[in-house]
Amino acid sequence: MIRESQDVIVKTLARLLVPFIVIYALYVVMHGHHSPGGGFQGGVILAASFVLLAISQGLDKIRQRLSEKTAGILSSLGVLIYAGIGLLCLLLGGKYLDYGKLSKLLPVEPAQARSLGILGVEIGVALAVMAVMCLIVFTIFSFDEDSGGDE
Amino acid sequence: MSVINIIAGLFVLAGFFFFFTATLGLLRLPDFYTRLHATGKGDTLAVLYSLIGLAIYHGFNITSAKILFIAVFMFLAQPTATHAISRAAFGCGFLPWKPEEGVEE
Amino acid sequence: MNIFFLIIGMGMCALVLLCLYRVTFGPNVLNRAAGLSAVGTKTLIILLLMGVIYDRVEMFVDISMVYALLNFLGTLVLAKYIKQSGEVECQL
Repeated sequence: MIRESQDVIVKTLARLLVPFIVIYALYVVMHGHHSPGGGFQGGVILAASFVLLAISQGLDKIRQRLSEKTAGILSSLGVLIYAGIGLLCLLLGGKYLDYGKLSKLLPVEPAQARSLGILGVEIGVALAVMAVMCLIVFTIFSFDEDSGGDE
Repeated sequence: MSVINIIAGLFVLAGFFFFFTATLGLLRLPDFYTRLHATGKGDTLAVLYSLIGLAIYHGFNITSAKILFIAVFMFLAQPTATHAISRAAFGCGFLPWKPEEGVEE
Repeated sequence: MNIFFLIIGMGMCALVLLCLYRVTFGPNVLNRAAGLSAVGTKTLIILLLMGVIYDRVEMFVDISMVYALLNFLGTLVLAKYIKQSGEVECQL
């Protein structure tokens, strides 16, 4: 179980840096089709901000914000967004993940609909990756919490 | 070869010199704390010099601003990482190195 | 100017190899962590120099930013783990 850090320097720097890290992660997700990055990388950076908070403030405070149950729901929601956009394109008469057909629903050109569809898929991937990374890290961080529970 | 290129090259060269010094300290110094002292200070200064040189070379645009933002981030993060790991070493009971009794001049 | 950056980058790679000596043969895990942090900062500069040489700095600067962040975070987590587990032999 990762306890709260007694270190003033690490705590202050974490509090200072976390908003910028989150904004940078959102930039990586949103700008993913012009520069390197995209859903997976943005999700990992979002999870990195949670890790920084967890090692500076202790795992208990982070679990109040993002419990294991919420993380599981978020990961399923990300997969649902991805598959939902793909199936929506399938229902509108195209192939799976054929974003151009989304222009029948949205009031934009097919080229712009492709850009928006890719953005939606990347948001779904970022949510799923962030939630799963947080789950893995929380499980590793609580390594000595329930030792000898059901053996 | 304009003046801007020469200034940028000098900055990058200074950064390389400090990287070399930090690596020499990491290899040659006798103790964990002294090695960490060499890399912690030398690498921070070298990263600042190199990033400023590259920003000057690239001119005045958004990419240059991003490089300077990396410089600010490293200026905050590198000393904090060094502090955290040296504090962990001190918490584990490491004692600073002292010269041996016989070899004092 | 590209030749100059190429030579600096090659010298930086040689310095990374020298740091890898400390990572491989370091007396304990703390020395290895210090060597890894030094390798990470050198890699950041090598990435930016590669961007300058290939004339794609606007692409490599994002990778280098993420690399700086993950290097910082890795060192911090390693320090926290060492401090809490305390499984280090206390010599030198």
